[in-house]
Amino acid sequence: MKQLFKEVHEAWLATQFTGFMSQTESRQELYEFSNILFKHLTWLENDFIKNNISYSYDIPQVPIKVTHISHMINNIIIRIESIKAQLSACKDEHITFRMASDLDYIKEVLIKLPEEEVEKCFLAEKTYPNVELTEEARDALTIFLFEESYKEYELIMVYNYSKANSNDAFLNRIYQILIDESFFHLRSFGQMMSEMGILGVPRSLMEEIYKFDNLEQFLKDGIQEEIGAKEECKRLAAAVSDSSEHFAAFFTFINNQESYHIALMEEALEYINNKQ
Amino acid sequence: MTADAHLIEHMMNPKNYGNMEDADASGMGKNPLNGEKVAIHLKVDKQDDPLITDISFQAIGCTTTIVSGSIVTSEARDIHFSRAEELVSATLGLLENQSPEDAACTEMVALALKAALDTYNEKQKDPDFSMFSYHITTDCTPKEEEKEEEK
Repeated sequence: MKQLFKEVHEAWLATQFTGFMSQTESRQELYEFSNILFKHLTWLENDFIKNNISYSYDIPQVPIKVTHISHMINNIIIRIESIKAQLSACKDEHITFRMASDLDYIKEVLIKLPEEEVEKCFLAEKTYPNVELTEEARDALTIFLFEESYKEYELIMVYNYSKANSNDAFLNRIYQILIDESFFHLRSFGQMMSEMGILGVPRSLMEEIYKFDNLEQFLKDGIQEEIGAKEECKRLAAAVSDSSEHFAAFFTFINNQESYHIALMEEALEYINNKQ
Repeated sequence: MTADAHLIEHMMNPKNYGNMEDADASGMGKNPLNGEKVAIHLKVDKQDDPLITDISFQAIGCTTTIVSGSIVTSEARDIHFSRAEELVSATLGLLENQSPEDAACTEMVALALKAALDTYNEKQKDPDFSMFSYHITTDCTPKEEEKEEEK
């Protein structure tokens, strides 16, 4: 069951990041399928919790550097076959029936997706279409995208773990909003990384990141990190404002979204403090 | 840190990243000021001068830490402990040429390797020993922030 959980996690990331490579309508299909695989992950996770089985989000690095999208599609199909072969490890037949049905459909659609050359997603050119950036701005943007894509993945998993292991409706509402927000950010940053030729799957998480025992401290640290991210967005907006109105507007938009995340975390902090 | 092609490759595909469940020894490098940390895990072939046959690292830290971890663990694979000790010294010797932020990350990785080597040696005497954890001494507060705080 733990191997099954791991492989669903890997398949979710492989599908999500293949979506970032696509420049066609396939991107949306891949996004939808990655949503489904993430949902499968949460079903299996809930089964672990229901049966009081410990689990982790530890996975090996997911390789995605390919020249053609069909290489990744074939890789995802192999992953799906492997997941299907292991479904019996989960004893909840309702879950495995739904998963098998979803996986069959996903496979049918994947096989028909058109070929695309995607080598450019990995050439590390650090250029963005129709945008002139100084070397300094390109370096700053490159490092920002690596830092933040990892951060968004981390936040998805941290809030997902917290939500899965909590029965508090108030906190779970906040966790779910933060998961959705982080998905949006991960997709924005992933698409930019793909355009700049620096696409890579974030590294796996150390257990203590999501298995924390002090929620109050976690939220306080999270607020500080969001404040730091806001400042970085402001710096990047200023650095690219001369060369790209679009980028400047994007980073201002992300900066303002971080304010919303801070407000949500402050709301959660106030709630747990009032409960104590 | 600049983002040249060589470093980007380590950012996109960090080498040797991940857990090692059957490690012979692990060590930790920590930054006590901000909670960042690096763990290095070793598989070792027991000899008079032990040989590192496999190595991996995990980190709670920034991109510079990941790049340093990727480079240092690649260098440390398939070398003997005596050479690994030299690698630790050589890496620590590079710190003064780096920015404080980069130096702190590099020091954390070098100390994690040192801690893993020391842990392995300690385990030969006491098999129940857990692991060494060393704190960095480099202050990674950027100069501009220090000035801001002084105002």
